[in-house]
Amino acid sequence: MAGFLIGEAFRDLRRAGRVAVSAIVLITLSLAALGGFWLVSSNLDRAVAQWRNRVRIVVYLKREPSSADLSALIERVRTTPGVAGISFVSKAEALRGLKQVLGKDASVVDQLPANPLPASLEVTPSAAAATPDGARELVARLAALPEADEVAGSADWVEQLSRWQRLLQTIGFGVGAVLGIAAILTVTTATTLVLHARRHETEIMRLVGASEVTIRLPLLLQGMMQGLAGAVLALAALVLTYSLVAPRLEPLVNLTLGLSRLVFFTPLGVTALLGAGTLLGGLGGWLARAGREP
Amino acid sequence: MIEVHRVSKVYSVGPVKVPALREVSFRIAKGEFVVLTGASGAGKTTLLRLLYRDDLPSEGDIEVLGYDLVPMRRASVAALRRSIGVVFQDAKLLPVRTVYENVAFVLRVLGAPRREITERVFDALRTVGMSSRAQAYPAQLSQGEAQRAALARAIVRRPPLLLADEPTGNLDESMAAEIIEALKDIGSGGTTIVLATHQARLAAALKRRTLTLEAGQVVKDEG
Repeated sequence: MAGFLIGEAFRDLRRAGRVAVSAIVLITLSLAALGGFWLVSSNLDRAVAQWRNRVRIVVYLKREPSSADLSALIERVRTTPGVAGISFVSKAEALRGLKQVLGKDASVVDQLPANPLPASLEVTPSAAAATPDGARELVARLAALPEADEVAGSADWVEQLSRWQRLLQTIGFGVGAVLGIAAILTVTTATTLVLHARRHETEIMRLVGASEVTIRLPLLLQGMMQGLAGAVLALAALVLTYSLVAPRLEPLVNLTLGLSRLVFFTPLGVTALLGAGTLLGGLGGWLARAGREP
Repeated sequence: MIEVHRVSKVYSVGPVKVPALREVSFRIAKGEFVVLTGASGAGKTTLLRLLYRDDLPSEGDIEVLGYDLVPMRRASVAALRRSIGVVFQDAKLLPVRTVYENVAFVLRVLGAPRREITERVFDALRTVGMSSRAQAYPAQLSQGEAQRAALARAIVRRPPLLLADEPTGNLDESMAAEIIEALKDIGSGGTTIVLATHQARLAAALKRRTLTLEAGQVVKDEG
């Protein structure tokens, strides 16, 4: 029976002809658009997560504390709400850091009469405090410390990046949804043509007592086949684009977003994309209605 | 086997009501060969359509093979039809399939095993004298051959009831005689047959129980 149903589905697919090809192309476009935006968005999401982890608030101290004062100060800062981690940077360490940054120009620092850099505490906010509001509140708390001269740092730009990521995600879903609806309608049209072409078979099937499942399942299957074919093509297009574009973009992305490499879909993502295509096609096939009996 | 009780059928054509059957009642026993005759438009096809539940009566009750046809669910309609073979005036063969595939299609649709399909299809084709034409396409058949192939398709499931709606309507006398002989053979095997025909001479020559319809009413039940 399964062999018969699948055979009929292939026969129906051939009957749908060019309309089926149009439906496959539309499914390919919709899933390629959806998948493309999804890929960009998921990579941005990684960058956002990575930068959220890297948000630091620096408390510049009025003077370098003695080791006894430092322990007490660190203990007080550690118990401040929103603080996940803390590290002390002495004046000397700050100067060494500056020299590293300056590289071959580091000798300039040696000309200074004294170390002008302040000692500081680098505070890592907790996940809740790594948002713009959370970071602002933490900055205010840390600025209230009597030892603090100045407090620098915020999570605003990370949030900005996150907003871009959400916008891209929304656009991706919007474009994908519009193309997806067009694809469903095209599959429905293709299936309606199939229904017309196989009306004699359908009549015979009903006449001999075939169940509605037997009559309709090949239609659903041919819709699903169109959807799966579209999804495979979309996936192939995305793989090709990724393999061509990713190596060229990675240096730029590394420099701007700090991502060492761009990632492709996980196996779960690939399955979801193929499933979405199959679902789109199946829905189109299911929506085409055959004539009903009394 | 078949019990039709005070059945009426009215078709609505816009505001106009066209009565096709009026208070029709009869019984057909298991194994009977009944001829339904009458002029075109007398209601023969309507009556047959009601018997295989292709339509519903406006009034009255119909029982076929133990099924009450009026309050019937879709799943039961399918079950009923698995026990009925139907032949029409036009053979309704699928043009892109061979005779064998046309007959086998019915069994494949119903999920019969492959070995059983081959056996049953050739059995049915032999019954109607068409086994040598198994690989021919409908376009390569004469009208008589096409009708015999349709008959093979109707009997391949060995249904207890066969409904034939003007199966000889498009055929010349010799071809019609072949179909009638095939129907008699099938009937002799215990299948109940209801044959609708407007050809009065054919009906008379059959010498079987004959129900005569006129303007949607059974006016004669003889034989």
